[in-house]
Amino acid sequence: MRDVRRWGLFKTSAFRMSMGYTLLVTLAVCVTLGSTYLLTQSIIQGDVDLILDTELKSLENEYVRSGIPGVTDEINLRIDSWGRIGAVYMLAGPTFDRLAGNVTNWPFDGAPAEPWPEFRIESIEPGQRSVHPVRAAVRRLPNGDWLLVGTDMSQDRRYGRTFQIATLWGIGLSILAAAIAGFSFSFRLTRRVGEVTDTCVRIMSGELGHRLPVTGRSDEFDALADSVNRVLDRLEEQARTLRATFDSVAHDLRAPLHRLRTRMDAVLRLPALESGIRDPVESALREVDRLQRTLATLLQIALAESGAPLAAPTPVDVSELADELVELFEPVARERGLRLTGRVDGEVIVEGNRQLLAQLITNLLENALKYVPSGGRIEVAVERLADRAQLVISDNGPGMAAEERERAGQPFARVGERSGLEGSGLGLSLVSAIARLHRTRLVLASNEPGLRAVISLPLAETQPSASSLSRSISA
Amino acid sequence: MHILLIEDDIEAARVLVKGLRESGYSVDHAADGREGVSRALAGKFDLIVTDRMLPHFDGLAIIQQLRRARLATPVLVLSALGTVDDRIRGLKAGGDDYLTKPFAFAELLARIEALLRRRASASESTTLKVADLEFDLLARKVTRGGRQIELTAREQKLLEFLMRREGQVVTRTMLLEGVWDLHFDPQSNLVDVHISRLRQAIDRGCDPPLIHTVRGSGYLLSPREEEA
Repeated sequence: MRDVRRWGLFKTSAFRMSMGYTLLVTLAVCVTLGSTYLLTQSIIQGDVDLILDTELKSLENEYVRSGIPGVTDEINLRIDSWGRIGAVYMLAGPTFDRLAGNVTNWPFDGAPAEPWPEFRIESIEPGQRSVHPVRAAVRRLPNGDWLLVGTDMSQDRRYGRTFQIATLWGIGLSILAAAIAGFSFSFRLTRRVGEVTDTCVRIMSGELGHRLPVTGRSDEFDALADSVNRVLDRLEEQARTLRATFDSVAHDLRAPLHRLRTRMDAVLRLPALESGIRDPVESALREVDRLQRTLATLLQIALAESGAPLAAPTPVDVSELADELVELFEPVARERGLRLTGRVDGEVIVEGNRQLLAQLITNLLENALKYVPSGGRIEVAVERLADRAQLVISDNGPGMAAEERERAGQPFARVGERSGLEGSGLGLSLVSAIARLHRTRLVLASNEPGLRAVISLPLAETQPSASSLSRSISA
Repeated sequence: MHILLIEDDIEAARVLVKGLRESGYSVDHAADGREGVSRALAGKFDLIVTDRMLPHFDGLAIIQQLRRARLATPVLVLSALGTVDDRIRGLKAGGDDYLTKPFAFAELLARIEALLRRRASASESTTLKVADLEFDLLARKVTRGGRQIELTAREQKLLEFLMRREGQVVTRTMLLEGVWDLHFDPQSNLVDVHISRLRQAIDRGCDPPLIHTVRGSGYLLSPREEEA
């Protein structure tokens, strides 16, 4: 059960919520860092373009003032004295042959089409050779010469890459952090909800004394646990009251019956009793016994219908029980010309009350014995399914009409034609009540022909008991 | 044999005391739990029959007090509650037998007798013997007059139950409880059918018949007819 819940973690709403939260955080981080990057890049580019434009303009002015020689001087001056790192100039003739500047060859194939063309330049500085990306601007001077001004972008590109890497790291780390937070959040949530579920399961299986743990942190879980515990207190109190009421009802009904029976018994023990008295007293006594049986059945049904849990369930081998009852009933069936057989699937253990389950099978068997005519067959089968034991009692007798079958399972229902016979309606009601006590129900179907009664019981858990589970969780 | 009856229903108690005395027991009556405990601790009783619901202490509390005082007297609990759990609780508390009201007087008598005899005969013999009927418990072999009788496991259990109570009346309910471990009343005449089959196997063509029917009570296994 524990593993199931651990893997089930991925299915919890807490997990889904935290996954969504992680996604949201990731998205927000991506948008923030991404837009910062793009904005920065465009600002840098704008600055570069402005510088290039300004330089071009000043060189053009120089041309207007003093012609090509002035421009050549100005270019050489700027290369030498300004020494601006990464500044690139070139003055070329109409056929793109170099006239001045620090670029040896015209970098483009003719005149570039785009306003800010880019190219690569190899620089030979002392000690190392490197390739630099250059962003440039080109103008044609009125005399047909070409003027190129560029800026080495490698610094900016490096900055851009660093920014990119930092952004990716930032996104990665924040996803990781959000995922870890989400996972631990959903795990803790699942664990505490699991405690509530476990306790409820144990209470439903009859351990009414259990309460949810209150951690003392006064959080919303403590508030929940507190309310649930108060509900449980009330339920336990009600169950106790109910039980006490049942006890006193049972006592108040049985005590007078007991006095009646005891007195009639005493009459029968009188010496030399005439048969004219003995016979009616004996027959009255049989009625008292019948009344008492009906009363016991009614009390049992009422107790089951009240929703009180099964007291102290123990492991019961249904196969063995079915076999024993078939053996017990077989001679009676044979006496009535019926063939009663058992068919069981080895050991099939369920949690329940052996006496009540025996009574359930007995009632179904007695029902079949009562209605299946001589020459018929009755079968008791116990099948072991994946997680359930299926108990099937089937016959080839007259069966029941569909609406009768439906009504028969309901508490205190009397079944039309059959109600003439003693106890038949109550018999099936008791079967239903016992089934309900075992958290299942009686299903009646047609056996074509005949009746097929099916009780499907949960198999006893072979895993560690619920108590060891909740201990390991709260530890 | 001395019996203490603890019962607050005076009317029912009067009839029971009378019946038990007629059956040859000497009987004391206590009408509530406190009186019951002090009487039980003071006197020497062979058996205590107590009601489950009593003023002062209930029947189960009485048993606990007696057992704490190291009194091993067998206790038969009479109860008007009588659901399966009540019976289990009653036996767990140290009761030796449990009978639900209303019951037939014959049923009470048979159970009292069984509890009293159980005390007397605690023999560990491996062979049960009644007249020429022999049951070898180790080999699980039954013979009558040297002739082997084939019985199913359940029939053997039924026979063993009867042989261990030779000469005692055994009721149908006692058989259902003791042989089949069923603590409710099926409506069918199950026990009668099984007894008649056993009788066929044991008594057919043999003399004297060993299994006798006791009218209004149950069955009895004995070599002598007159006990029936």
